[in-house]
Amino acid sequence: MLRKTYLFAAFFALALLSAVSANSQDAKMIEAAKKEGKAVIYGSLESGTFDTIVKAYRKKTGLDVDYWRASATKVMDRALSEYRAGKPLFDIILTNDNPMQIMFKEGIFAKYESPTSKDYPKDAIDPNLGARYRNVIIGVVYNKSVIKPADAPKSLEDLLKPQYRGKLVMPDPTQHTTTTQWVASLWKVMGQEKADKFIRDLAATKPILVESLLPAAKRVTTGETPIAITYVKYAYVYGKEGAPLDYVRLGKMMGDGHYLTLSNKAPHASAGKAFIDYFLGDESMKLLAQEGEFVNLKGVYPPLPDADKIQFVEMVDLDKKGFAAKKKEYQAIFLK
Amino acid sequence: MNGKELTFGQSIPASSAFYRVRHFLSTPVNWVFLGVAGILAFLSLYPTTFLIYGSFTDSPLGVPGQFTFQNYVRAYSDPSAYPLVLNSFIFGIGSAGLSVVLASALAWITIRTNAPFRRLFELTAIVPNILPPILISISWVMLLNPNNGLINVILVKLLGLEKGPFNIYSIPGLIFVEGLILTPLAFLIISAALKGMDPSLEESAKTLGSSEFGVARRITFPLMRPAILAAGTLNFVRAIESFDTPAIIALPARIEVFTTKIWREALGSFPTNHNLAAAYGIGILLIALLFVFLYRRFTSQVESFSTVTGKGFRPHQIDLGPWKYLASTSALILLTMMVLLPIMVLMLMSFLPYYHVPTWETWQNVTVKHFKTVFENERVYKAFGNSLFLALGGATVCMLLAALTSYLTVRTKIAGRGILEGLVFIPWAFPGTALALGLLWAYVNFPIPIYATIWIIMLAYVTRFIPYGLRAVSSTIIQIHKELEEASVVCGAGFFATFRRVLIPLMRPGVIAGWIILVTIFMREFSASIFLYSPGSEPLGPLIYFFYLDGWYGPMAALGLIISLICVILIAIAQRFSRWESS
Repeated sequence: MLRKTYLFAAFFALALLSAVSANSQDAKMIEAAKKEGKAVIYGSLESGTFDTIVKAYRKKTGLDVDYWRASATKVMDRALSEYRAGKPLFDIILTNDNPMQIMFKEGIFAKYESPTSKDYPKDAIDPNLGARYRNVIIGVVYNKSVIKPADAPKSLEDLLKPQYRGKLVMPDPTQHTTTTQWVASLWKVMGQEKADKFIRDLAATKPILVESLLPAAKRVTTGETPIAITYVKYAYVYGKEGAPLDYVRLGKMMGDGHYLTLSNKAPHASAGKAFIDYFLGDESMKLLAQEGEFVNLKGVYPPLPDADKIQFVEMVDLDKKGFAAKKKEYQAIFLK
Repeated sequence: MNGKELTFGQSIPASSAFYRVRHFLSTPVNWVFLGVAGILAFLSLYPTTFLIYGSFTDSPLGVPGQFTFQNYVRAYSDPSAYPLVLNSFIFGIGSAGLSVVLASALAWITIRTNAPFRRLFELTAIVPNILPPILISISWVMLLNPNNGLINVILVKLLGLEKGPFNIYSIPGLIFVEGLILTPLAFLIISAALKGMDPSLEESAKTLGSSEFGVARRITFPLMRPAILAAGTLNFVRAIESFDTPAIIALPARIEVFTTKIWREALGSFPTNHNLAAAYGIGILLIALLFVFLYRRFTSQVESFSTVTGKGFRPHQIDLGPWKYLASTSALILLTMMVLLPIMVLMLMSFLPYYHVPTWETWQNVTVKHFKTVFENERVYKAFGNSLFLALGGATVCMLLAALTSYLTVRTKIAGRGILEGLVFIPWAFPGTALALGLLWAYVNFPIPIYATIWIIMLAYVTRFIPYGLRAVSSTIIQIHKELEEASVVCGAGFFATFRRVLIPLMRPGVIAGWIILVTIFMREFSASIFLYSPGSEPLGPLIYFFYLDGWYGPMAALGLIISLICVILIAIAQRFSRWESS
């Protein structure tokens, strides 16, 4: 009995010590971050969602960040241009898996294992980029006031029906890297032969091509275009503002992981680390889920109907050459 | 005393080159000339050189590379480049032509006729110059898109049509919107020429029995031709270089013009190719240079016509009789399209929770949350601070340089003053996109670290908009009689004292009017800023665009309305200092 008591006391002391040590590590990090000033983040997470996290971060730590939001393509371009010119202004890059892998290969990232990343499932940890904090899922979103849910398409193939000719909006696959990947990955959900035919038939319906996934969703919100290939989360995000949106329950839906990683030339390295620690933590992930994001926290789903039933299929990764080749191929199909 | 001896910076014949140089340097105004020439040369030639360098090198921005023709081969050997050039010309000529027709009609009604409310129309015609062009384009998409454009929806309901008759996503749609955006600039040029026209020729024609129509056809129009051509060529260049309207209308419609090609092929896609962009940029620059050269020729003719005037009487006003109400109605329709409809859509966007075709239920959901978001958003405050700094600082530097340049070119006889005119001529032709690319290449490895700071944007603004300042101040300086300077010199004042005590106070109305106009332009500048800003130095123009890309239509419209309101107030102040024609 006495031995058990000793063991318990020793365990408790150890836990207390490590908690104190972690807290003092946090405190040191926050102190160093305060001295450095604001961390600079380039990312493709929507500004409104990011603002929610930053407000909570500011409240908890007293620290602040500067956030520049653009599409994944633009984020990667700006980061690489600055890095090559020897003038990187950013501390953290926050965007999709594939562009992050390309930037990793260009050697712009530092290895930082955040203590909060330990809570993620093992398969959600990339050895180079750290924790995949969320998945972005691409599907079909439509305006219920234009298309009645009963008449809505049931599959991707339904998008080829004559009633959607010239009425579908999607990001330009010759420009927008995530959409290039999505089109290039269609074989994963429909098989190679079907996918090749689908791509050509889809292009033949003359979809409206826009810069990225968000403007595509926004056009559905205003009713300008009734249906879009975009992130399914927008059905919730704009739905809560009153827009009559819903998404097609495709079953299998493709998407990409999202990461945030520290630059190896970060002008505010401690400030960057402090933000990563907070961002990957429970509090921030729950806030993200409430904003409609598919976070990698077990059992936590966005308040989107049937979100838990979506079968996530990860898109294929392309390298620089792969993107150039696909861009050329899709130019001939989509822009002819 | 001989006036010739009193002229600052006059060249004096000399027997030796050494004596000439020594004499040249012994006069303070010549030092000022050298300084101004140096600054202007640096501002305009340095980025031009680097734009050319970028187009002939094979490595990314900031990395030393090898000489190559490959970028030109790739840019101009592509068969798709030729329809693109054709599209660009159709777009440029169409929108410039439309703007000139609309501006001429509006100018004629407001200045030469007795149409009711003409003064109000004259003032309103300038308002679209204040609205960020990107917002005008977005408004017209909301009005004329084929699926739920407001005008299409109303026409379908009223006329029982199957589908909306208009499609903004077409070349005519693109031309229509850009034409409306460019109309105020054409209006300023044409109305100034109409106001300055000598009425005696028209009166003589009328005395000789010509009808009002005959006078207009045989006298007024030929006299106005140089101003109309000047406005047309300038607007052609502005259309060819614009990215705002093509980004909103041409990109989704898959209509390729020069600027969308640069965006799609070189800057907007991955991997980015700044070298290819520079090769395209040189193409636009050459086209723009050619047309700005033509513009200058037409403008000099306008100036020679206007020198016929200078008498103190008002231009001949045509009594339209009962037709005056039709003239007012036409002007009102034009202004509704140019001003009221876009502002109405912006108000709808800013007061609705999310933009949609309004129904009766819509009015129950009106909200001010987007204005609240704008006022609570730190990024807005930061961008506002950046734009204010750029506007106030940039406009001051611009007007100072413009005042000195104008003085040196108009009032002195310094040998080589024509060089100054030539140096200012380059920024006139420099499209915002090409200038921004040149600046990126020029300053990425510059010893003074201005790359990715607010200063590189300031440089772009000053370089690109000096001609606007020059135009405002030159028209004032021409009107100042030389006797005042001569009297100052007789009393023993040197160049600086005369400039400060005599010229600056007399030039003040033109300088202040020019300064305020530059402030309004800088507050909403987009074409150059979008390529040059970095996260800490983001001005309002790119912020509006990113609100659009971020799907924040409501805050975007609210911010656009706030900026426009500020600019209207500034312009009202400018009007107190100077008449519009001086700018």
